[in-house]
Amino acid sequence: MSSRFSAAAAAVSEPALPSRRPRRPFASRLGSRAAPYLLILPACAVIGAVLGYPLYFMGRLSLQHYGLFQLIKHKGEWIGTKNYSQILHDGLFWHVVARTLAFTATAVSLTMVLGTLFALLLAQLGPKMRVLLTAGLIFVWAMPVVVAVAVWSWMVDFEFGVANWLLTYLHIGNFNHHDWFANTWSGWAIITSLVVWGAIPFVALMVYAGLTQVPQELVEAATTDGATSWRVFRDVTVPLLKPIFVILISLSIIWDFQVFNQIWILLNGQPPPQYFTMSIYAFTTSFQQSQYGLGSAIALVMVAILLVVSFVYIRQMVKIGDAE
Amino acid sequence: MRTRRARRIVLNAVALLVFAVMVFPVYWMVSTAFKPGSDIFANTPVWFPYHPTLGNFGDAVHRPHFWADVKNSLIIVSVVVAMSLVLAFLAALALAKFRFYGRRAFIVLIIAVQMIPLNALIIPIYLVLSKAHQVDKLSGVIVTYLTFVLPFTIWTLRGFLLGVPRDLEEASQVDGTTRFGAFLRILLPLIGPGLVATSIFAFIQAWNEYIMAYVLLHDPSKQTLTVWLASFTGDRGTAWGPLMAGATLTALPVVIFFVAVQRKIAFGLTAGAVRG
Amino acid sequence: MKLRIIAAVALAAALATAASTATGGTKRSTAQQVVVWVMTDAQNGWPGAIAAANSQFQQQHPGVDINIQYQSWDTVLQKFDAALAASDPPDVIELGNTQTAKYMAAGAFSSLNAKNFPNSSTWLSGLKSSCTYRGKLYCVPYYAGARAVIYRKDMYRQAGIKGLPKTYAQFLANGKKLMKKFGKNRNFSAFYEPGQNWYVPTTFVEDYGGHIAVQAKNGKWKGTLDSPQAIHALTVFKSMVQKLSRASKTQDEAHPYPSIPFAKGRMASFIGNGWEWPYVFNPKGGAAPKSFEKKMGAYPMPSHIKGRYMPTFLGGSDIGIPISAHNKALGADWIKAFTGTQSETIIAKAGNIANTTKLANVNAHNPALAPFARAAKYSWFVPTSPNWVNVENSHLLKQMLTAILTNRKSVQAATKSASKQITQILNASP
Repeated sequence: MSSRFSAAAAAVSEPALPSRRPRRPFASRLGSRAAPYLLILPACAVIGAVLGYPLYFMGRLSLQHYGLFQLIKHKGEWIGTKNYSQILHDGLFWHVVARTLAFTATAVSLTMVLGTLFALLLAQLGPKMRVLLTAGLIFVWAMPVVVAVAVWSWMVDFEFGVANWLLTYLHIGNFNHHDWFANTWSGWAIITSLVVWGAIPFVALMVYAGLTQVPQELVEAATTDGATSWRVFRDVTVPLLKPIFVILISLSIIWDFQVFNQIWILLNGQPPPQYFTMSIYAFTTSFQQSQYGLGSAIALVMVAILLVVSFVYIRQMVKIGDAE
Repeated sequence: MRTRRARRIVLNAVALLVFAVMVFPVYWMVSTAFKPGSDIFANTPVWFPYHPTLGNFGDAVHRPHFWADVKNSLIIVSVVVAMSLVLAFLAALALAKFRFYGRRAFIVLIIAVQMIPLNALIIPIYLVLSKAHQVDKLSGVIVTYLTFVLPFTIWTLRGFLLGVPRDLEEASQVDGTTRFGAFLRILLPLIGPGLVATSIFAFIQAWNEYIMAYVLLHDPSKQTLTVWLASFTGDRGTAWGPLMAGATLTALPVVIFFVAVQRKIAFGLTAGAVRG
Repeated sequence: MKLRIIAAVALAAALATAASTATGGTKRSTAQQVVVWVMTDAQNGWPGAIAAANSQFQQQHPGVDINIQYQSWDTVLQKFDAALAASDPPDVIELGNTQTAKYMAAGAFSSLNAKNFPNSSTWLSGLKSSCTYRGKLYCVPYYAGARAVIYRKDMYRQAGIKGLPKTYAQFLANGKKLMKKFGKNRNFSAFYEPGQNWYVPTTFVEDYGGHIAVQAKNGKWKGTLDSPQAIHALTVFKSMVQKLSRASKTQDEAHPYPSIPFAKGRMASFIGNGWEWPYVFNPKGGAAPKSFEKKMGAYPMPSHIKGRYMPTFLGGSDIGIPISAHNKALGADWIKAFTGTQSETIIAKAGNIANTTKLANVNAHNPALAPFARAAKYSWFVPTSPNWVNVENSHLLKQMLTAILTNRKSVQAATKSASKQITQILNASP
């Protein structure tokens, strides 16, 4: 192995405990006080250019009545917070919020639990099986969402879906001509399975990577002290993997809360209200009802709710980010 | 000894089951792509393409603008990956190595950016890009994609940079003007795996994206492969055989990219992950 | 050190520039190009009409580049709205005839003079009225479509059906014979009617004297699907579907497309447009060989009143010039070429109804397509309100039908809430 890799390997074999050793300010070595600002400038410029004005514009839109007529004339009518009060008094809106929260909680839990279990499985396997399973997970991760939805759509197709045939064959029930989306619960089961299926590989591989970092001495010490595997996992492994879990849970919440493509494409671009999540509700209000002001307000409320929901995890992430 | 073997067998069986269940949709896509129409629409599923045909692939490839769209997707993705690596590396360097006023704000910014539903911003983003004459241009799409790829890549690269041991940093403190150059020369190879991991993430995000691409790009010869794929579910119903063939072709570059860098991945994920 | 950072930033900028030039960006030099948005239907179904129009246009304007961008129904309006917001729309755009009212009322189109366009004195009145707003013309009729029953002649014969049904009662009786003969196959439908194919139940409503909505003298709309006639019609429809159809209750007429299960023998008949005919044995997506066509026939859906057909929904498309288009004159010339007799003949021969009565008999001698032209004799159209397309976009009719057919709601309850919503949407201020 080249010396570069062994040096890096040495670097990461340091204990993974949060480091409290003071770092010598590298800044003074590199000399320039302006250096950090210059370094983050390009990234900030891109983000600012693409999102800055649009966010401001969306904020303005949310305070206006902006239908197709106004869109063509490029001029909206100011109505203050009427859009927001309309949303908050709309029963459908609250159903959509509740549904989005329920879906996010379910999807994130399933993803994290199954992903961690798969990671533990990977850690226990022999090298050949591990390579096979890892390769499988990577194939799944590599599939573009549009492709994955197309395949799942075909698998649960009303006329020719293989899932229907298989379930009937295994005598789980009669799924011939089964309409997966007629019943809201079964429809959501398909959507959740699709989302979780696509999300597991990333979580499993990241957690597995973390597991390989857990120092064997600690595990052995705990085992010789008489701890069961579960206790070892709970008291030794989990605390060490906490930073990974925090990131993964935060990202999963953020991503699953905003799920759009899977639902949209599975339901052929015309999901009925029972399948609305907040991002779909915002999109259809804007584009199908041509109520751009109202749609913008919904989107902003969605961001606010997401911030509240993920607040605890985000704060942890910022703390981790700041601590180094 | 017995229990060890039994345990091994059980674990392997479980692993095989997990593998089969997870990979089945991928297998189904590929096998459908090779099946003729009569097998695809058979009343009993045909599990293996016993009469493989390249007809579906031929149909897919001969659809209008296929090769143009392949080129577009490859251009967009390569530029997004390259630029995000550069920009994210610089920003991650700042976060990892410097204490500066506004650092916390920057961290909050890159986390907050990920929470914004891009779909809601379609029209405002369209307006901004239109003013800059970037609509119906690949560069407009590239810049938009960068925005939602950067946060995660910055965060991950920051983690990798933190993993570089201090003695190596200090070893690079050669005097004079070669300071930063030497620093880079030592640093870059060490975080190589990190760069690979983030480039895979950027690749997948850019390759996957659908809605912004179809709104921002009008000319069919400028569209991306994912939008091209959506054209299969046309108004005349879905041509499943060619669609699965097209889907396989669309998934292929990502898989190739993975295989090409797969050794570095495992190492990369290992090296950087724990640094949170 | 600063230098290195600046170098990195410059590298990034260079890459960006490389990207934008690598696109070979077609500069929108306004005098050289006409941008046309038409649906993929033309690309797949009647490409000859496009080619004819292009060559005619090119003769008139030799230096101009014709940029045809085929759109799909699902996404075109989103792109159009975004383009309108940025004042960067195409020069020519096709819209469905149920969508034009909204865009005309919002001022999206340039007004046109009918005299400048070919065959305008003989345009189909239904299409022409979908292009007229407050007395002015804002688009040009493109084509219309009528629906008829497409059926398997051999299955009808085997089930002992002689001749074609002249009344709805006969149709229903025929359906029962088919179910008796073939119904043991769990996948078989005598008449395949996907739950969300809303064109068919609304046809029943119109046949029994009901309407989706009516406009009072004061201009206000009222949803009338809960009128006694409409409820009766939908009850008849529901009973028919339960007896004769095993299609999905949550999918519409495009997902899945009936042609493939039809080719696989899973149904004896379905209602479709003329242009759907060749799709059954289209080798590209279909599952039947060309010889299958010999077994197919078509007839207009008979009314419950003897001697009439059930009024078919007269769908279709119009073509207009957006108000902020860059090349209106060029756009108008292209439209003249595309809606002239030569292109329209090709469009009609592909299974559609041409925009002019002069070409009404183009398909009269084609046994496959003649029934569709006949079916257009009795037709109906959606409420001509600018807000109608919002009703379509909300998919509330489709959801109402699914609720009725899956027994989630009674016909009375479902139509009552749907009518209320329709009233609300149609009367909303734009």
